[in-house]
Amino acid sequence: MIQFDGVTRTYGRKVAVDQLTLTIRPGEVLALLGPNGAGKTTTIKLLVGLLRPSAGTVRVCDFDVGAQPRQAVRVLGYVPDEPYLYDKLSGREFLEFVAEMRGLDRPAVAASIARQCEYFDLKEFLDDLVETYSHGMKQRLVFASALLHDPPVLVVDEPMVGLDPRSMRIVKDLLRRRAAANKTVFMSTHTLAVAEEIADRIGIMNGGRLHFLGTVVELQEKLSSRQASLESLFLELTDGGSGRPIQGPPSPSNLAGDPS
Amino acid sequence: MSQELSANAPVDALALRGTPAPAAEFLSVEAESRAFWRLRCRLARTVLRQAFSRARLRLLLILGLSLLLWLGLFWLFANGFWFLKMNIYHPEKHDKMVRDVFEMFFGALTVMLVFSSAIILYGSLFRSREIAFLLTIPARVQRVFLHKFQETLVLSSWGFLLLGSPMLVAYGIVAAAPWYYFAMLPVFMLAFVYIPAGIGALFCLAIAYKAPGNQVRVLILAGIAAIALACWFVWSLVNSPAHRVLTPDWFQEMLDRTKPSEGRLLPSWWLSTGLLEAARRVWSESVLFLVVLIANALFCRQLAVWFAGRVYRPAYCALRVAPQRRRRPVAARVDRIVFLLAGFLSRPMRLIIVKDLRLFRRDPVQWSQFLIFFGLLGLYFLNVRVFGYDMQDLGWLNMVSFLNLSVVGLLMATFTTRFIFPLVSLEGRRFWILGLLPVRRETVLWGKFLFAAGGSILPCSGLILLSDVMLRVPPMILASHQLTCMILCVGLSGIAVGLGARLPNLREQSPSRIAAGFGGTLNLTISTLYILAVVLLTAVPSHFYLAHTHLVTRHGRAAGVLSQRAAIDRWLEFWLIAGTIGSVVLGILAVVIPLRIGFKAFRRMEF
Repeated sequence: MIQFDGVTRTYGRKVAVDQLTLTIRPGEVLALLGPNGAGKTTTIKLLVGLLRPSAGTVRVCDFDVGAQPRQAVRVLGYVPDEPYLYDKLSGREFLEFVAEMRGLDRPAVAASIARQCEYFDLKEFLDDLVETYSHGMKQRLVFASALLHDPPVLVVDEPMVGLDPRSMRIVKDLLRRRAAANKTVFMSTHTLAVAEEIADRIGIMNGGRLHFLGTVVELQEKLSSRQASLESLFLELTDGGSGRPIQGPPSPSNLAGDPS
Repeated sequence: MSQELSANAPVDALALRGTPAPAAEFLSVEAESRAFWRLRCRLARTVLRQAFSRARLRLLLILGLSLLLWLGLFWLFANGFWFLKMNIYHPEKHDKMVRDVFEMFFGALTVMLVFSSAIILYGSLFRSREIAFLLTIPARVQRVFLHKFQETLVLSSWGFLLLGSPMLVAYGIVAAAPWYYFAMLPVFMLAFVYIPAGIGALFCLAIAYKAPGNQVRVLILAGIAAIALACWFVWSLVNSPAHRVLTPDWFQEMLDRTKPSEGRLLPSWWLSTGLLEAARRVWSESVLFLVVLIANALFCRQLAVWFAGRVYRPAYCALRVAPQRRRRPVAARVDRIVFLLAGFLSRPMRLIIVKDLRLFRRDPVQWSQFLIFFGLLGLYFLNVRVFGYDMQDLGWLNMVSFLNLSVVGLLMATFTTRFIFPLVSLEGRRFWILGLLPVRRETVLWGKFLFAAGGSILPCSGLILLSDVMLRVPPMILASHQLTCMILCVGLSGIAVGLGARLPNLREQSPSRIAAGFGGTLNLTISTLYILAVVLLTAVPSHFYLAHTHLVTRHGRAAGVLSQRAAIDRWLEFWLIAGTIGSVVLGILAVVIPLRIGFKAFRRMEF
């Protein structure tokens, strides 16, 4: 369903994604974890066609994203970390535009909007201008727009940012249900617990490289054999295995250069 | 949000039956075009509805000011064309002169439209957040480009329409043109603006594709090249004319000099010829040139769309991954100099000034347009002698020098509206930084005022000094101009900062949109009135004083004013001093009143 084949992306001399090879199957939720600057967002942008690989290929449903970006984005639903919405459109007008661009005919547009509206509980404010929405309302609208055409692949960058606990629960359920329906979900997150809870496989990236890729069970085995928590394993993997202790913030005395 | 998926939810329907791609096909080109137009219409409808319901005053003010400007320009151009008609008796020479005026005007506007389109389109295509959304839906990349290109066309050409239409309508009336001249006018102008906009789009795409990361450098080089070309052209056109200005011989010399610049392959020539032929009632020739313009406009558009289809996505990607220049951790030299120069201020205020300077400096797409205007103004001042103004009598000299001062003031007013007025609004979302610092809120506004006043005095004084030196004005007028310039800069800064704090737009992140709002429009209006008041207070007494001195020196006895000379001298001196004092007082009021209002509003402001 999603295939990264030896993908490298550089920003000048800096290697943001380094020789990434990864296949995500239908019915799978893959969570990409990593510290800031690890290459997660670059990987997602390569997947949705906003960036092109310096080397290698990214394929979605057998479409080469670099060579056939329109075909690839047609089978994707994408929820970015900082989504763009037209402030001067109502939620319904925005959904209509996206659905129409996705090639849905009029009855399908209406049916699809009604379905998403019900699922994400948008009815109350769907005809208000987007500029009046709260962050959570906007996030729900973006999820709805990404699912209008029922895409086989859903790509989500930081899905839980700004959501209240109830909305988080719904999003987690949604992602699991899509996997259950044999759809593919590719998400990046900072939240270790979310990844642990809903992902079938977890990838841990650092410095553009994939340091760990495995199922949650494999991860749990690794954890139990080393009697480590997910957090400590994550920190160890993303610290380059140096074993260096994570330093706390400097104390006021250190800042002042106090030798004592 | 419902806790459970409904029974007919799509995921359930497809459960575990493989993952077929959606059956929906791509939209046809026509359907895609309709969808984008519907989007644009819906957005425009909402904006207009809000403007009519919530901001009627703003809308009326903008329309009223635009109409005023249009009528003013129309009056100016109509008088100009009447002047030519009355003073050039030979019809061929008259037509040739009008053609040259048209060609120079449209030629200069072509260059400016190419630049402004390229700059605006760059911002729309490569920096706007909307693009990241549009590129992730299955829209044709050409459609995305066209969507932004049409937006750019409107944004870059409204100024041209506002400046060009009064000139062309005035000419049509003076030349007693037939009805079809006026009917064809909008089509001519629309077809014309497509050509430079298309060329600008091609430049923009080529630069982003071939020189990602260096686009600002390329833009600055292109700007310098354009200014150098304009310098050479103006110099070759008007350098050392042998005759006094506006005499028949001078007109003839000008005609001879413009011959080499006559380019029959230039759109400005097609536009001028088409309109002149229409005015002369040769409609077949006029239609021919209109068709030539439309054909070329469509060609430019198609070429730009084709080029965008090939390079837009790769260019977008290339710009995103272009290596960022590493900044040195040390402060830039200019920051250190400003910090030292402002040594008499408190440290927090100096830090705020340096912060604003850094933000301003690092937004070259915005300030580069002003650099071009300042450059063109400097170019005009440098060439002011070749018009022979410096050889005229003192009264004329005084008028030209004060007009130059007014132009600098107006440029400064647009600058303070565009950059200074939005400063407080832009602090809105990051006010948690300044708001939590142990500084008084007034310090923030004082910092902005001093940044604006200090930053504007230097270039404006320099320009005025250049104008005065080239005009060879007496030292007294020069000193008076410098004082007036300082009053203008300080007052305009006070108005912009005060109104910016009183009428902030905390929702908007784009400075140009904040400036285009009600507060920005009001700021520009008050600034314009302020400039008029200050310049008139100093220019009018000065003009009468100099005219009187000139009269007495040359024709005093003959004019029979000698017996009253002392009284008139005293009277004019009084008005000269009173005018200067009045302008100083007005300057102080323009700082104190808006800042007081701004302080009060800023103290109460909740973020």
